[in-house]
Amino acid sequence: MTTAPEVRERTLDELTLGSSLSLEELVERSALSEMAKSFHQLFGVPLRIFSDAGVLLADASAQPAIYEYLNENHRRAKAALQEVVAAVKRVDPGPKGEAAYNCFTGGVYHVTAIQYDGRQLGRLVLGPFLPANVKEVPQTLLAVEPEVDVAVAKDLLLRMPRAREETVRQIARHLRGTLDLILFSGHKALLTSSMHLASVRESFRDLQEKNGKLQEAYDRLKELDRLKSNFLATVSHELRTPLTSIIGYSEMLAEGIAGDMTAEQKDFVRTIHEKGEQLLELISGLLDLSKLESGTLAMRRGDVAVDALVADVLQTVSPTARKRGVNLVSDVDSAMPKLWADSTRLRQVLLNLTDNALKFTPPGGTVTIGARATSIDVAPPDDDGGIVLLRSKQAAVELRVSDTGIGIPDPEKPKVFDAFYQVDNSSTRQVGGTGLGLSIVKRLVEAHDGRIAITDNKPSGAVFVVTIPCRRATLS
Amino acid sequence: MQLDFAARELTVKLVYYGPALSGKTTNLQALHDATDPGSTGRLMTLETKDDRTLFFDLLPLTFKGKGDLSVRVKVFTVPGQVIHASTRRLVVQGADGVAFVADSRVTETQHNADAFLDLKQNLKANGLSLKEMPLIIQFNKRDVPGVRTDEEIAQLAAQGREPVYLAVATKGKGVVESFIGLLHLTWSTLEAEHDLGRKFGFDSRAFLGEVASKLGMPRPINEILGACVGGALEVLRPEATP
Repeated sequence: MTTAPEVRERTLDELTLGSSLSLEELVERSALSEMAKSFHQLFGVPLRIFSDAGVLLADASAQPAIYEYLNENHRRAKAALQEVVAAVKRVDPGPKGEAAYNCFTGGVYHVTAIQYDGRQLGRLVLGPFLPANVKEVPQTLLAVEPEVDVAVAKDLLLRMPRAREETVRQIARHLRGTLDLILFSGHKALLTSSMHLASVRESFRDLQEKNGKLQEAYDRLKELDRLKSNFLATVSHELRTPLTSIIGYSEMLAEGIAGDMTAEQKDFVRTIHEKGEQLLELISGLLDLSKLESGTLAMRRGDVAVDALVADVLQTVSPTARKRGVNLVSDVDSAMPKLWADSTRLRQVLLNLTDNALKFTPPGGTVTIGARATSIDVAPPDDDGGIVLLRSKQAAVELRVSDTGIGIPDPEKPKVFDAFYQVDNSSTRQVGGTGLGLSIVKRLVEAHDGRIAITDNKPSGAVFVVTIPCRRATLS
Repeated sequence: MQLDFAARELTVKLVYYGPALSGKTTNLQALHDATDPGSTGRLMTLETKDDRTLFFDLLPLTFKGKGDLSVRVKVFTVPGQVIHASTRRLVVQGADGVAFVADSRVTETQHNADAFLDLKQNLKANGLSLKEMPLIIQFNKRDVPGVRTDEEIAQLAAQGREPVYLAVATKGKGVVESFIGLLHLTWSTLEAEHDLGRKFGFDSRAFLGEVASKLGMPRPINEILGACVGGALEVLRPEATP
């Protein structure tokens, strides 16, 4: 069984400082062959390019006629030629970067080092070619193969491409210059692509590290949020217990159960009672909010008759309305469908909105509670298809509380549902309130799968529109 | 640094760091133009967009010391733009010395400082310490309007550790001096660490002299090193002092 060799990306230093580059990876083999062929055509001298590892990368040479003849007819010469070919492959160009190798046939090979950035990456072999001074079959050939037919050999030998040593050197120099450019471009492309990869990898690593830190921070924040909710719930509960005593005893004092009090004392005690109630309201609100936020508020659903609900709320607030000189109007359609809802919570919603409306309506103004049957669009939370099957209209009830007060400017509309938010802080001083009411209302409506929106009342004032589906919406 | 004992060859990596458009590539071009063709290869510029360096520039220089050792110096630049942080971190890996090219203009003071802190951070990410890194600072673009004055720089440089050079890279002014200063500092550090003088019979003074003449500045080394303002050209680490 063999295992695949481990492939490792080379570092920038290895690609730029070290000696890990090879000719094979810097040049495109087929393109190199084409170039070699065109040089061969141009100068007529055979040409081969070897990598430093001895791999033949480009070959533009044909067997000389004399080699063919000797290979076919003379065993000893054939063996000698094989040795020549092997030896040429091994010729070390030496410190000068070039060397010549003489074949016994009289042909000459010129070997040049292919260098890049001061390092040898391969060898360029030009030849065999016949130097200008060779005009007869040389003694070296006759020594190897005495029985050769000299006339035939001469004829074939003289067909070998002729070249002067100096010309071959020039060709080699020119070729080396061209190769150097190609190697430079190849090295540049190699560096560019590996830098690209490395940069992407480094950025990814960096991002992952940052993501990890963000996730950690997020988890911590979530934990803190949970602790905050717990804290709020506990504190509210613990505050309520002594507050109940304060309210109870101040009430009893005010009623004279513990004996008569002067008018001033009564006044003080009433103030204690009133402020105690206010504090209780705030604490209850906070408790509700934290329960709504943590999703632990228990909903007791049942059939709710809307007309009765509105009538109940109207009755509750009518003393306040009278005191403030504000008209209260009911505008409930007949034949309203029943709601499947928590009647206490729904009453709280309507009471809160009406209270608010009364607070912001000047004397002589009108607050209207309206109710009508409508429908609500139930849609899947994402569009993954199948809308025709999933989207539906559901029967719903729309509750409207409108006032003729100062109204709410458009940019403020979404913000009024934030806890402790007041449109105009100065108005709070006049009308009071904890700033929790509307945020609780919104969450209660949402707990009923409903929606709340604010529109303008003409000519002035605001309308809070609450839409609640008659049955639980199943898709949200 | 890479030492090839068999080939008696040492490769040193120098990095030109600095804010965007401070003239790092221009420094390399000027160095390339100044160097004797026998000692330098082609200046490689990787992927430029609108004349801005995207990955790095690389200038290979080769010097033959008097001793039995040839020295290859690879000079890199980093991309200065802020977004190329990860590339800078990769390039500065394994640096033997750093030249910080600052923009002399008063308006660039903050960018210089940011880039310097970025260098510190990226060295740290590679397990290198700014304190131990051979470092020179070059105030480039001395010829443009709105630069910090010579007096101001000299005064600040006198308080610092790093040798400071003034340069106009577009005209080749101060470029070779900065390079020789950096090479000297880097070389002294490497020599102290690896005892190159004894191992290879290497004469660093003579080597610096050869480099200077190949860079077209055949002047006494002390004179070239004296071009810096402030800082110290002696190696700062205690173990490095003879």
